[in-house]
Amino acid sequence: MSKVVRQIGFDEGAYVAREKEDVVVGNEIIRHRLSSRVIHWAVADTFFACLFTGLPIWTPVFGWMATLVGGMSVCRLVHPWFGLAFALSSLVMAVHWWTEMEMTKEERGWVGPKLLEYLSDRANHDKIGKYNGGQKVYFFTSKLGALGLLVSGVVMWYATSFPAWARQVAFLLHNFSFILFTVSLVFHIYLAAVAEPGTFNSMTRGTVSKAWARIHHPKWYRELMGLEK
Amino acid sequence: MASLAATFGRGAMTNGWVDIKNADVVFVMGGNPAENHPCGFKWAIEARKTRNAKIVAVDPRFTRTAAVADLYSPIRAGTDIAYLNGIIRYAIEKDRFHADYVKAHTNAGYVIGEKYGFTEGLFTGWDTEKGAYDKAAWAYEADAKSKGYVVDETLQNPRCVFQLLKAHVDRYTPEMVSRICGVPAETFVKVAEMVTSTGTAAKVGTILYALGWTQHSTGVQIIRTAAMLQLLLGNVGRPGGGVNALRGHSNIQGATDMGGNTEILPGYLKVPVPAQTNLKEYLEAVTPTTLNKVAWASMNYWQNYPKFMTSLLKALWGAKATKENDFGYAWLPKIDGLYTWTHMFDDMYRGTSKRVGGTEAGPEGLISFGMNPVGTGPNTPKMVAALSKLKWLVMVENVENETAQFWKAPKEYGGADPAKIATEVWLLPAALFAEKDGSFTNSARWAQWKWKALDPPGKAKPDAEILARIVLAVKDLYRKEGGVFPEPVLNLSWSYTNPVSPDQSEVLKEVSGKALADIPDPKDKTKVLKAAGQQLDGFGQLQDDGSTLCGNWLYGGCFTEAGNLTQRRNNADPLGLGMFHQWAFSWPANRRVMYNRASADKDGVPWDATRAGIKWNGEKWVGDVPDIKPDSKPGEFGAFIMNPEGVGRLFAPALNDGPFPEHYEAVEAPVANPLHPKVSANPASKKFASDKDLPYATPDKFPVVCTTYRLTEHFHYWTQHNPKLNMIQPDFFFEIPEEYAKELGVANRGKITVSNPRGSITAMAMVTKRLKPMKVDGKNVWQIGMPIHWGFAGNPGHTGPLANFLTPSAIDPNTWTPEFKAFLVKVEKA
Amino acid sequence: MSVQNTLEVVRSSAQVWGSGSGLRSLPTVSKLVDTSTCIGCKACEVACQEWNDLKAVATANDGDYQTLKTLDAEFWNLIRFDEQEVDGGIKWLMRKDQCMHCAEPGCLEACPAPGALVQYANGIVDVNPAQCIGCGYCETGCPFDVPHFSAKTGKMGKCTLCVDRVSVGLEPACIKACPTGCLHFGTKEQMVAMGNQRVSALKAAGFAQAALYDPMGVGGTGVVTVLAFGDHPEWYGGLPKAPRIPMAVTFWKKWLRPIGFLAIFGAIVGAFGHHLYHGNKGQVDPGPVGPDEKG
Repeated sequence: MSKVVRQIGFDEGAYVAREKEDVVVGNEIIRHRLSSRVIHWAVADTFFACLFTGLPIWTPVFGWMATLVGGMSVCRLVHPWFGLAFALSSLVMAVHWWTEMEMTKEERGWVGPKLLEYLSDRANHDKIGKYNGGQKVYFFTSKLGALGLLVSGVVMWYATSFPAWARQVAFLLHNFSFILFTVSLVFHIYLAAVAEPGTFNSMTRGTVSKAWARIHHPKWYRELMGLEK
Repeated sequence: MASLAATFGRGAMTNGWVDIKNADVVFVMGGNPAENHPCGFKWAIEARKTRNAKIVAVDPRFTRTAAVADLYSPIRAGTDIAYLNGIIRYAIEKDRFHADYVKAHTNAGYVIGEKYGFTEGLFTGWDTEKGAYDKAAWAYEADAKSKGYVVDETLQNPRCVFQLLKAHVDRYTPEMVSRICGVPAETFVKVAEMVTSTGTAAKVGTILYALGWTQHSTGVQIIRTAAMLQLLLGNVGRPGGGVNALRGHSNIQGATDMGGNTEILPGYLKVPVPAQTNLKEYLEAVTPTTLNKVAWASMNYWQNYPKFMTSLLKALWGAKATKENDFGYAWLPKIDGLYTWTHMFDDMYRGTSKRVGGTEAGPEGLISFGMNPVGTGPNTPKMVAALSKLKWLVMVENVENETAQFWKAPKEYGGADPAKIATEVWLLPAALFAEKDGSFTNSARWAQWKWKALDPPGKAKPDAEILARIVLAVKDLYRKEGGVFPEPVLNLSWSYTNPVSPDQSEVLKEVSGKALADIPDPKDKTKVLKAAGQQLDGFGQLQDDGSTLCGNWLYGGCFTEAGNLTQRRNNADPLGLGMFHQWAFSWPANRRVMYNRASADKDGVPWDATRAGIKWNGEKWVGDVPDIKPDSKPGEFGAFIMNPEGVGRLFAPALNDGPFPEHYEAVEAPVANPLHPKVSANPASKKFASDKDLPYATPDKFPVVCTTYRLTEHFHYWTQHNPKLNMIQPDFFFEIPEEYAKELGVANRGKITVSNPRGSITAMAMVTKRLKPMKVDGKNVWQIGMPIHWGFAGNPGHTGPLANFLTPSAIDPNTWTPEFKAFLVKVEKA
Repeated sequence: MSVQNTLEVVRSSAQVWGSGSGLRSLPTVSKLVDTSTCIGCKACEVACQEWNDLKAVATANDGDYQTLKTLDAEFWNLIRFDEQEVDGGIKWLMRKDQCMHCAEPGCLEACPAPGALVQYANGIVDVNPAQCIGCGYCETGCPFDVPHFSAKTGKMGKCTLCVDRVSVGLEPACIKACPTGCLHFGTKEQMVAMGNQRVSALKAAGFAQAALYDPMGVGGTGVVTVLAFGDHPEWYGGLPKAPRIPMAVTFWKKWLRPIGFLAIFGAIVGAFGHHLYHGNKGQVDPGPVGPDEKG
């Protein structure tokens, strides 16, 4: 690891993380380079924009949210455009992460019991690489959700150009996709921001501690540390 | 209207719109009231709702009327007489006619002279050279003893009208009707059965017709047949009955009543001819003498003709009309031939009026009020060419219609190079109906006042003001410069408070009539009936000595001392028959059902007590305003007071093409007449024969029957200027049968070209199940149709072909109405 | 139209809680359309445009007499023409189409904008353009294809049953213009009675299958229609046989919404519970990790 020397207090990890990931910088490991983080936050921000402009349309219980953006008409006006931005960001994200998200047979088990094992701290982490099965499942879930939202959203956007049955299917699909996406998002946020200290940093500064990596992604850690081929 | 006058004595709808609700059967043929008279048609619906009446529709197309009818029958366009004669035959054969009525109120028993006969499509009296009949051959058998005519009340005399009629219609069996009209025989029988179900005292049926009957080369005779059928069924004069002409304009009845035809003066008085050099000669020629004084006398109301005429002359020339100068009779124009507008345009086109025996050139200018001859005339290219030969044209119009811009007619509609047309065109903007006060006379003869709703736009003026300004200017010119024969112009009475724009109430007062001197009471000569200057109560008070003035005797009493009766709006209906005697004014004499004496039997007892028109209460006639002397005992006078015989005419020796109606093919027909192929079309019918009229289409090259019609969404050639109406019916189209479209390989909305020797139109085909293929005389015949309404004037995007580009200039021999409703074309996929 | 303040609103779109006081009541009003006496003259179409100050819409002849294929945001009253062959004869069926003013309006059910669609105590379903967000959900919610969204104004437009006229005691403009008396206006009760009378008359005249169209799938309609061929409402310009608010709309509102709520809040509560019970993951350093280490 080459050492870059700058002034005192220079954040070497963040600097390296602008362009590289999966490298060790001192006590830290760069987990997400800048482009990855930008893509993630693009998806996250556009989703929240959709959420805040969509929830008031979904149910009057969240009607107050509409006030924050200037009323229902503004919601109706911007929601499809945010949706389009969200869908595009999701597409970029999908391409960006696609190769890393290849799932082994074993990892497919994360859809069911393994996730519970993981949550109840009973899982064997030993073989977990950069992403565990749960993260991969979430990746695909979110992409599937995004696709569902996009397709149904377009139909609802240009409702007059589609037959009644298509509009009705779109209504249901938009609902389903939204619920699926949001439920998994709750867990994603919880685990990333609350339950696993040190994780959130990986999506902000881009780095994690070696200890974090050794606990949560041992295989990845071993690979980076040259402990495993 | 000529046919109704020839049969009943007056040429107008016999009953009224509201009266349709009293019918048991509403027989609609030659009209499509649901489409063209939707507001009046509500009464047919009402009849069905309230008395379970049946609506029968006979039409080449399955129309909007057919859509709500109980029974629909197709028919080949132009074969209505065969159809109706078939029904008459059915009524006589099955004894489904009202025999008591026929004996009491028709000329069924009158014996016809020996000269009358009918062979191979021709009545006796035909003069091949003149191309006309000598009507003397059809006279009644005179009775020397009674100075009247021979009448056989038993109807058994083989020479009586009834027996002759029976023999005449005997050829019209259901099979023959089917062969001619293309209607399945069983459908025809169903219609005949339903229509003749009213041939009893207990039931009444009405007939509604419009231009689908009028606009044929046999138009007048078609209506005659219907009138005869109604007489046979005993349906004339009775509430819920009659032959009801549905007029195509809000005020066309009024226009005709006021002399809107070239051969009549206001009130159907006749325009004098050159041979009638003084008033005496004229009155002698036109006043009918009463016939058959013995058996069943007639009031012969026309014997009052001199009173009507003198009062009219007084209205025209005022104080200048004196007994000494024949009340100015000499100043009236005398007519030396036919000047209907179809003839006028023929003269204009040919540049001469030699047709009528004159030597002078054709007209050099034309003033047209509220008319669009380029749109409404047959054979558009001829209309455009005729106008191009004028020196000047003045159009008084609401919109710049096709005629006002005839000089920019597209080439395909016969337009020439505008640079080569020298006609000077003036367009005077006229106020629309809602922009002026005045009255409308509807089909039911109701003169109803209407009030101005808003001011006319820009410099537009009411027609009356435009006319008045012309009159005053011409008078002024004569006064200053003199001229040939100045008297009619200078002596014309123009005593309105505002001569430039006469108040229409003043005009109506003049039309209604007033006393110029004290009128003594005929019952007590010492009393004064009306003092000088007072409005008269009705035409009964008119005098022939110049002491009364009346612009139109028919409207006598519409504006009395009690005020303007056309403004009345009281809908009280004590008789419960929808007569509304206190609503507006119905000519004649506020009578709602004409010939209502026939609603009762010989003794004055109504045929049906629940629908009594009038009845004799022992002293006088009560109910509707009686169409008979109110205190004349039953049996004193006949029910048809305008006919010299006093009865309705099953046999009418008055028309130009025969005393009985006979089926003749249209001038352009797909088959030769199956009854008499040698005399296929109406021999008396006239065809114009300029190079623009010839050749007429023949079935070998032009095998398809085409008809024209109106759509409810539009009104004539006006409403293509109205965006809302363009919205609901945007484009011109041809309606063609599904089966024919298949044969042509044309899909719905596909383009077709329809053509004949006069021209060709390419437009959208509306493929429909509402027109069906038919078998005529063993031959497959297709019928197609097209709406009028479109033209080269109109809002952008809503102009279209003129339907009359394809219609022929063949005309009926009585009214000179062109044959718009049946002609030949060929159809190709475009 | 804007919402009539003089009329009690009993139902309003997208409300969390009920929207009417429910204290005032009015008789339900209704139109009667008697197709057996309709002559398709379209006077009602023009009267509707005129009274409601709607401009003429662009049309083109579509090979029949019908003005437009469907109703439009700027065209609220349409006569539908249908040619049917029955027993070898032809029937030309005409029906006036407009908002049916359902007792249970699907448009209102689907509408997400609070107060954009309201139902008054007299049954009229009205639009408030100020609240309409132009999402077009009402088009999906309506089983009769009535409401239509205007791309020009971004608002939905449909028949208001001339609520401005009705609220001051006048009949709707279409009724006023009808020349044949095929259209009537009154209380629902009167119209049903009058309609049933016409149905009996039609039955007596040989239309055994005549019926009054007042579909209960949407709670009955504010426009009851007399059909001579009551067994074939679809012959009358595609009148649905058994209209219901589309399953998608009801399923969304009645099921998916609560389920979604439960799922999302359940997830949040679950996550919170998880944290309470399990605390953080990865608090204890497991020590050095070697190639031989077993996890």
